[in-house]
Amino acid sequence: MKIDQIKKEFPIFDEKIQNNDLVYLDSANSSQKPKVVVDRINEFYTKQFSNVGRSVHYLAVAATNLYENTRTSVQKYINAKDKNEIVFTKGATEALNLIANTLGQSYLQEGDEVLITELEHHSNYVPWHFLRKSKNIKINFAEINDEGEITLEEIEKKITPKTKLISITHLSNVTGAILPVKEITQLAHSKGIIVVVDGCQGAPHLKLDMQELDCDFYAISCHKMYGPTGLGVLYGKKKWLEELPPYQGGGGMINEVKKDRISYGELPNKYEAGTMATAQVIAFDQSIKFLESIGIENVMKHEANLVEYGQELLQKNNSVKLIGNPKNKGGVLSFTIEGVHPHDIATILDEDGVAIRAGHHCCQILHDKLNIPASARASVGIYNTKEDLDQLNESINNCKKIFNL
Amino acid sequence: MNLKELYQEIILEHGKNPRNLRKTEGFNKDAKGNNPLCGDNVHVYLKLNGQKIVEDASFEGSGCAISMASASIMTDLIKGKNEHEAKEIVEDFLGMIKENPELKSKYLSEDEKTKLMCLSGVKQYPMRVKCATLSWHTMVSAFEENTEEVKTEN
Repeated sequence: MKIDQIKKEFPIFDEKIQNNDLVYLDSANSSQKPKVVVDRINEFYTKQFSNVGRSVHYLAVAATNLYENTRTSVQKYINAKDKNEIVFTKGATEALNLIANTLGQSYLQEGDEVLITELEHHSNYVPWHFLRKSKNIKINFAEINDEGEITLEEIEKKITPKTKLISITHLSNVTGAILPVKEITQLAHSKGIIVVVDGCQGAPHLKLDMQELDCDFYAISCHKMYGPTGLGVLYGKKKWLEELPPYQGGGGMINEVKKDRISYGELPNKYEAGTMATAQVIAFDQSIKFLESIGIENVMKHEANLVEYGQELLQKNNSVKLIGNPKNKGGVLSFTIEGVHPHDIATILDEDGVAIRAGHHCCQILHDKLNIPASARASVGIYNTKEDLDQLNESINNCKKIFNL
Repeated sequence: MNLKELYQEIILEHGKNPRNLRKTEGFNKDAKGNNPLCGDNVHVYLKLNGQKIVEDASFEGSGCAISMASASIMTDLIKGKNEHEAKEIVEDFLGMIKENPELKSKYLSEDEKTKLMCLSGVKQYPMRVKCATLSWHTMVSAFEENTEEVKTEN
């Protein structure tokens, strides 16, 4: 696999960013887009545009077919049993809100407990907090160990007879820990507990097999998967999606509307109210084809090599402190530098064209636990090279120099 | 862009050893501010005497070098000023950080102007302007006895 060739498929790397070559280490935030994806959006709007699922004219039918093709591609890519288990949303955030909202309406009762972890992104905490406010459910937190991992044993310890649902990240966007989702799901199901997985970081970087994982719901963010913004995927087991009530009301999700009664449409239309992000859905098919053309095993191997290399590099750099040291680690290197605030690090690195993220990465619970207000995070994608990490290290050294460290 | 202009010695020095990073004993005005985007926060304390003059100013909180230096310099130079003077200085400072090439307030000494101008480097870094201005907005809030937390704006 030639990374140089793959990198060439991303037009942004032909650009000079403030006179520098771009060293993009912010893929956990959002990935760059290959040309095929950008071109597909343009082509659809230029030559094929129509709304989907409504009109009978030629363009409408063709666009609907394209839209549904992506659904089938996603189904195959994540090995879901049924095409109707794939629901498009405006993002993973909406997917998680949809799950919390509909389970809150019809399944979770006052006093029920939801178990999440200290690693969770705000989008896998705040929607459950809404239910804590409105339905008086209780939220428990599984705690990280010293390596920044969540173990199966810790989950087991935090399950109580009142635990109705476990909602966990597949891959931490801060420590990089990959959670034993399959084992957690087995354990949960043996106790009749539902499992929701926040797959924002998992989907772009790990092999996905819904039937093997066996979780009940899985939320995907398409813009982190070399796809367009404004689009997410909710995978939900058919029995749940059929049983749960609709999330939003509007056009497209109904069966029949009368003054005194309304019936709802079948899956997946039931959860796709209003005009969807049509162009994004159609272009996302190209993102999946792009990932398939490389092969997820190759993606995982490449990123694992990068992380190992980056970890070694930063461990050797005194005054850099890495956050978390999980055995199973995804492409995330979060760190602090004693005496330099992460925002200052990010500004100084940016001057060299090195794009990282600084802040709490929407994980305030975790940062509170680690007793730091913020951290700096370099995260990799398929287009990154060891040279990118060398540049990261060099720019960190420049940062230390400016701060007289 | 020029990092040297942003991270001048005086900024680094105040950032590393912030003045007045404590809670004023017997303060009679205070306010909190935070930057929801990055989680940085500041709590400004003022102690005004009978003549409404700032006898002491201090702050607690954490943040980047720019925000710590800004709060440090601010709390230093606001001592001895009354509310009217302080607010004019805030206006002058915010104007300078956003667009004005220099500081104009008659309530600032040349030495104080020089110190504040060291923060002018953030002009070239729009994302960092809020780091420099958070403590200043928070101080105004303290004077006005707003109980609501200040959120950063650019």
